Amino acid sequence: MDPSHTALRTPGFGTSASLLSTLLASYPPPFISIYDPENPRLTASVVRNAVTNLQEGGSSGGTAKIHSAIVNAVACFTPRLFYDSVLNALAEWEPSWEDGCNNWSGLSTMPGQRFNENFDAFVHGLQAVKTYLEQASNETPKAASGKWKGKAKATSTNEGEVYRLVIVIERAERLKQSMPELLVPLTRLAELTQLDVTIILLSDLRWEEFRPPLGAAPDPFYIDIPLLSKSVPDTIDIVTSAFDHAAGASVSSSFTDPEAYSAVLRPLYSQFSATLFSICSPFIHNVHELMYLAAARWPGFIKPVLDAHRAYVQEMERLRVDRQSHEAEDSGAESRDDMQDHYEAGMLYLPSEDTRIRLIRHFTPSITIAVENLYPRLAHAAEWSRANMPPADLLTLAPGHMPGPSPPSAGPVNARDVRAFPRTSKFVLVAAFLASTNPAKTDLRMFGRGASERTRRVRRGVSPRKAKAGTGGAGIKIPQRLLGPLPFPLERLLAILGVLLEEHDAEVRPQAPEFAIPGEYTDMEISRVSVHAAIMELASMRLLTRASSADKVDATPTFKCGISYDVALQLARDLGILLNDLLWDSV
Amino acid sequence: MDEKDELTLSPPKKRSVRAATPNSPRVVMECVEILTPSKTRPRIIVQHPIPASPAARAHTLDSSSPTCPPPKTPPKRGRHLQRKAKIVSDMPQVLVLAETLQQAPESEFNCSAPAARQPKASLRRKGKTAWKLPTSAEELPHTLPVELEPCLQLQKHAIMRSLRDLPDIVAQDDHVSANATAYEQLSNLLRGTVLRGEGNSCLLIGPRGSGKSRLVEKAIKSLPEKPIIIRLSGHAQHNDRLAIREIAWQLAQQTGRSFLPSESNSPSDVIDPDENPFLDSSETTIVLPPPAHLLALISVIPTLPRPTIIILDGFDLFAAHARQSLLYCLLDTAQSCRVGSGTKGIAIVGVTTRVDTINLLEKRVKSRFSGRMLRTSCLSELQQWVELARSALTAPVSEDVPEEWPPLWRVAVDSFLQHEKVIEEFKESFSLTRDARTLCRILTTVVMNLTPALPYPSAEKLAASTGIQRCPARFPFLASLPYPAICLCIAAVHYQTSGHNTFTFEMLHEAFRDQVRTSQSAPVQIEGGGIGMMRCSREVLAGAFERLATQRVFTPVAAPSLGTAKEFVFYRLVPDRFELKRAVEAMGQTNLKKWFSKA
Repeated sequence: MDPSHTALRTPGFGTSASLLSTLLASYPPPFISIYDPENPRLTASVVRNAVTNLQEGGSSGGTAKIHSAIVNAVACFTPRLFYDSVLNALAEWEPSWEDGCNNWSGLSTMPGQRFNENFDAFVHGLQAVKTYLEQASNETPKAASGKWKGKAKATSTNEGEVYRLVIVIERAERLKQSMPELLVPLTRLAELTQLDVTIILLSDLRWEEFRPPLGAAPDPFYIDIPLLSKSVPDTIDIVTSAFDHAAGASVSSSFTDPEAYSAVLRPLYSQFSATLFSICSPFIHNVHELMYLAAARWPGFIKPVLDAHRAYVQEMERLRVDRQSHEAEDSGAESRDDMQDHYEAGMLYLPSEDTRIRLIRHFTPSITIAVENLYPRLAHAAEWSRANMPPADLLTLAPGHMPGPSPPSAGPVNARDVRAFPRTSKFVLVAAFLASTNPAKTDLRMFGRGASERTRRVRRGVSPRKAKAGTGGAGIKIPQRLLGPLPFPLERLLAILGVLLEEHDAEVRPQAPEFAIPGEYTDMEISRVSVHAAIMELASMRLLTRASSADKVDATPTFKCGISYDVALQLARDLGILLNDLLWDSV
Repeated sequence: MDEKDELTLSPPKKRSVRAATPNSPRVVMECVEILTPSKTRPRIIVQHPIPASPAARAHTLDSSSPTCPPPKTPPKRGRHLQRKAKIVSDMPQVLVLAETLQQAPESEFNCSAPAARQPKASLRRKGKTAWKLPTSAEELPHTLPVELEPCLQLQKHAIMRSLRDLPDIVAQDDHVSANATAYEQLSNLLRGTVLRGEGNSCLLIGPRGSGKSRLVEKAIKSLPEKPIIIRLSGHAQHNDRLAIREIAWQLAQQTGRSFLPSESNSPSDVIDPDENPFLDSSETTIVLPPPAHLLALISVIPTLPRPTIIILDGFDLFAAHARQSLLYCLLDTAQSCRVGSGTKGIAIVGVTTRVDTINLLEKRVKSRFSGRMLRTSCLSELQQWVELARSALTAPVSEDVPEEWPPLWRVAVDSFLQHEKVIEEFKESFSLTRDARTLCRILTTVVMNLTPALPYPSAEKLAASTGIQRCPARFPFLASLPYPAICLCIAAVHYQTSGHNTFTFEMLHEAFRDQVRTSQSAPVQIEGGGIGMMRCSREVLAGAFERLATQRVFTPVAAPSLGTAKEFVFYRLVPDRFELKRAVEAMGQTNLKKWFSKA
C-alpha cells in the first residue's frame, strides 16, 4: 500500500503519531518499541509518514535535523543487507546501475571503505554518515585535506544544530530469527556510536517476546498503538479511503471496470464498506483484510449500477440518433441543447436509496462467502470476483426474482481430487485412515473374524472414561482422529486392507475358481505389485506420510495417514464401507 | 526506612492520635500545628485519613466551599506548605506525614474539578495577579492561560532534555553515595594514567541503570588533557579478532595514522586482499594491520604520544572469549607499563553488571589485573527517587519565560509529587526496579501527555504511563479478539479444565463445532433470529488459529517436525484462565460468557 495514501488519512492513529513526532523532534529515547497487535502494516505506514514529514523539515520547535532510514526486517534478512539499506537510506544514496550499483561508501575522498563487514564497521559507517551529512548541509568542506575526522561530536556544527539519525525497523520480530546476534548491539546503538541515534522497532509482537536473553538489551520506551477495532468509524473511514487510492490506480488495472471507482460513487462505497464491515467485523479486525475483501467485492457490487447506466446511455443515444434522423434539418441552438441533455444523461449518478437497499440485500450473502473463501485465501481474489459477478440485468429483475448467491465451491481441492482416485487407492486410503486412527491392539476386536461374529465390534464403554492412575489426570480421552494420525507399519496396512477387500470387494471380483480356500483370493490381491505401487504413489502425493526414513532397506516402512476424517468418510461412502463401525473411538 | 514505611502504611493510627487530642497538638513534629489554626475546615482534615471514595470527598468539599470561600485560607496554607517543603528537604522522615497533610488541598485539586473550578474562575477574573505567584496546588489555573502555553512547550522540552541526561541529585546527609566514591576513585585512577603515565586497570561493577557508563563519561570529561579513548563493547565485539580490529580502527581514527607501519614489512604488500577483505588497498585510508600482528598492536599502545583509556563495556562477555587472550594482553600491557620509562599511561576500565566477574578470569589474567573494583549502586531510597523525579520535572527552562511561570510550575510539580497516589505509584515502581531509566520512561510519557487543556502532571497520567512503561500487559488485545479467535481460546480453556494442557487445531475445531451445534439446537428465537452461536468455517478458524500462534497466545509445545500436518501440531495456551475470563466478560457476548462459564 502506498504510504502517502494511507498515512494521510488514518484516523485513530493521531495521538500515537503526534507522540512519536514530538518525541523525535525533541529528545527521543535511544530505543523505542512500537507495538500494534492488530494492524502493524497500517502503523508502519503511519510511522513512515511521521518520520518522513519530520525529515522533510517539518520538525516544529525542535532544533534537530532528522535523517531517517526505514527498513523492513523481512527484506533485510542478512546483516549485510541491513547495514547497506540503513546506510544508503541515511545518506539518501541510491545505488545506480551506471556506477556499478555501489553502496554508499563514505565521503568521496576515501574510496574503498566498506561499512558492511560487521557491526563495528556499521558503527563506523553511521559515524561517517553523520559527518557526511554535517558537511553536506554546511556546504563548507571542513575536512578539505581529505582526512576523515572519525568521531564526530554531536555539537560540532556551527549553528548548534543536532543531527539525529532515526532508524525504523518494521517487522522487527524477524530479527530474532534472521540475525539474533544483531539484536543486542542494535538496542545499544546510541551508546556504541556515541551519536544521537534513535532506533525504533516496530512489531506486532511485544518486545518481551523477542528480546535477547539475560537482560543484555536495555528496556525500550514503549509506545502502544491503541487498538483500531475499538473505534468502528475510524475503521470504516480507513477502508473507505482505499477508494481514492483505487480511483487513481484503476486506470492501469485491466481487471476492474474503469468507471467502478469514479468519484461520484464514493458515498455509495462508504455505505458499501460500512455494510461490509458490519458483516465481517466479527471475523476480521485487520483493516488490510477488509480492504482486500472490499476490493474483491466492489466490482461485482457496482456492476448492476454501471450496467443500468450504460443501458440508459445507449438508450439515450439511440433516441438521439432516431430523433436526428427524423428531424435532420434542425437549428443549431436546438442541437446544442440536445448535446447538453446528452451530456447530462451520460454522467454517472448515484443510484437511488431503493436501489442501494436492493443491492446491499442481494450482496450480503456473497460477502459472507467472500469471508469464507478469500480471508483464508482459498481462492484468488480476481478470480473469485469474476466468478461471483452478478447476472447482467440484476436491477431490472423484480426483488423476488433475484437469483440467489452462487453455491460455494465444493470444499477444498484435496477432497475433490481424492475422489477421482482408482478403487485400489481409495481402499488403501481408508485402510490407512483406520490404521492411523485405531490403536493397534484393538485390531483383533475390530477386524477379527472369529466365532463370535455378532459381538466382535461392540466396544466396552463409550462414555468418557476415568483417567488411568498414571496418565496425569487427563479427564476425558481425546479421540485419536483429533490428536493426529499414528504411524503404522506396512504389514498392518496390508492386513486391514485385506479385511476391507474381503468384506467389500470380494463379491464384485471376477470368478476365479483356482482359489478354493476362503480369503485366498484376497491374499493374492493384496500382494499384487499394483497395491504396493499405489501405496508408494500415495506416499509421494503425501496422502500417506512416510514416518520411517526412506533409505533404510531392512526395516519395514511405516506410514501415517495424510487425509482428514471428512475425506476418509467420503471415500468410505463411495466404497460402501461403514467407516464409523470400524472406528474404535466412535464419533 | 522502617519508620517511614510505618508512617505511610498506617494512616488510621495517626487518626486515632488526632482524635484523642483534637485541639492540643502534642506531637513533637512542628508541622502538625498546621492542623489547628485553620478552624474553618476541620471536617476535611479530620476526614482525610478515612478511606473514603473521592466522590464523597469531593462532595464534602463542594458543600464546604460556598461557606468558606478560598481567597483567605489558601495563601496561608500555602505558606505553610512551602515551609513544610523546606522541612521535608531537611528531614526525610517528615516527608510522608507532610504528604498526608497535603492530601486535603490536593484531593480538591485533583478529584473535585467542578467544585474547584468556581473559585478559580473568580481568581482568573481578578486578573493576572491572582495566579501570578501561586503557592498551593489549588491556586493553579485549571486550564492554562493562552499566554502561558508556549511556556508549557518550553518546559516540556526542558524536561525531556533533562530526562535524557538525568541530573545528579545532591545527597542530603553526610553519607557519601557509592557512586560519588566510585567517581572519586575512578577519576583519581584515570588522572594517574593521564598525568603520571601509570598503567592502571579497574572494574566498575553495578546493577543496570546505576550510572556506570555515565560515571565513566563524566570522569573522562573531567580529565585535564585529552587521552586516546577506545571503547569496546562485549555486545558488539563477539570475539577477540573483532575487538582487536576495532581497537586498530579507533586508534587509527584518533591518532590519524596506521599502526605497525613500514618497519614491520608493509602490510598491504604482504597480505593478499582476498584473504583479508577488510584491508583497504587505498593509501589514503586507514590500513589495518594483518591479523597475525593484531595482538602485537596492543603492546604498541603505551608508546603512543598520548595516554590511552580503554573502556570495555560488558567486561564479563570478554571473559567468555577463547583463552581470554585480549584481556591477557591488555592487562599485561597495563601491568608492565612503568612510570618514567618514557611511555605514556594506559588505563583499562571494565564495566559490567556481573558481580562475580573476577571469578571468570583465568588465573594468569587475574594475576595481571590490579584487583580494583569500584561499585556503583542505584538509588537506595524512595525519597531519592522522588527527588530525582522532582529535579527532572523542574528542569530550568533555558529561554526567558514570563516570570510567573517558574513558581507556577514548581507548585504544580510539588503538588504532583506529594500526592498520595503518586507516592504509591513511585513506591511500587521503586520496589520492582531501581533502574533510573524506568523512571525516565515513565516520566517521559507523563510529560508528553501534557496539553494546554490539562497542563499539570497528575496521578492519573502517572498511573497510565506506569502501566505502559513498567510492565506492559502481555496481551492487551485479548478483549478485542475477533470472534473465531476468542472461540478458539475458550475451547482451549475447556480442554485445560478437562486436563489436557496441550491441544491441536482439530481438537479446538471439534469443540467449537459441538458448542455451535448445541447452542443452535435450542428452538428458541428472539426477534426472528436464533440465539445460537455464529457458525464459522473451518478455514476461517484455521486462519484465526494461525494468527493466535503468531501472536504467541498459543505456543507450540515441540519443535515443528516435517511429518506432522499443521492441524495436528500441539500447542499450549499462554494467557491464563483469568485473563481470558476478563476478556470474555469485557466482550459482553452472552453466548461466549455462557460457554466460558461451563469450563
